[in-house]
Amino acid sequence: MKRIVALVSMMALLALLLYVVASMPTMGDAGNPTNASEITKYYLENAEEETFTVNVITGIILNYRGYDTSGEVTVIFCALAAVLAVLGREKRGKIYAFADRSRVPSSVIVRTMVAFLVPFIILFSIYTIMHGELSPGGGFQGGAIIGASMIIFTTIFGLFESSQRIPQKIRFPLEGSAFLTFFIVGVLGLLGGGNFLTFAWPNISANLQPAVALWLTIFLEIGIGLGGAMVFISILFSMIREEEDVTAAA
Amino acid sequence: MGTTLNLIFIVLMVATALLAVFARDLLAAVIIFSVYSLIMALMWQRLQAPDLALTEAAVGAGVTTVLFVVAIFKTRRREEEEEE
Repeated sequence: MKRIVALVSMMALLALLLYVVASMPTMGDAGNPTNASEITKYYLENAEEETFTVNVITGIILNYRGYDTSGEVTVIFCALAAVLAVLGREKRGKIYAFADRSRVPSSVIVRTMVAFLVPFIILFSIYTIMHGELSPGGGFQGGAIIGASMIIFTTIFGLFESSQRIPQKIRFPLEGSAFLTFFIVGVLGLLGGGNFLTFAWPNISANLQPAVALWLTIFLEIGIGLGGAMVFISILFSMIREEEDVTAAA
Repeated sequence: MGTTLNLIFIVLMVATALLAVFARDLLAAVIIFSVYSLIMALMWQRLQAPDLALTEAAVGAGVTTVLFVVAIFKTRRREEEEEE
């Protein structure tokens, strides 16, 4: 009986969703709300001159919608806070071991490949962060790539090795750097004579404004990237840490 | 050409999604789910959203997969039979 009810309700949901899909606007159609609305037109025409970033998406995310993005990076920080609230923070100055349940040491091929690839992945992530105002990508994507590379490194070489590569002294303060850079840029906008999160400060001469706005954007990208990466790494570290396996005090 | 490729991606996505749901081995489900994320990233690229494609590839296929694997090693690998 229960199964029949579940089946019927799922079928009804499927029919409803398929019906809605049929009435969705055609992809790429000029009359779509996304193409026909005034705000899209405004962004595409003015974003490059107003935000001084070639990549319009980065300009929209960091400049026009700076408040939204600062809220989003706070959400990521809250995710870390929730993980730490459940799993607990590692004690300061201690290095923990990664208890590998499988008891199978990773093979030489895997270790060599990871040791070879991780620097290149990190290089690519730095490119993604620093080039965010020119090409697809940006702080969050680059940070996620750094996090992923360190996660690969940790799963192959163990928590002990990777904790030594990224010491707690660096990792703990940088976790909040994403929101902190937003706050600094916002206050700098106030000091520059504009509103909170104004990039083109009215107080300085007009031909200096593009450079200042560009560097503020890059500063934000770096902050978001480092903060995101450290949050990902901290979540992983607190997940794979074994409380009893304290091996050394640093 | 483009439509065929889209169709292949969509069929693969539905197939991997169903496989991930019905897999009894949770590790297999996680790996299939990362394949789903990878196809999703390709799909974002085809929809001309390279920023989202990068995010999906890094977070969906990379970070969450490893976090799920760690969670599985911390708990149990097999899904328990549900009691009727």
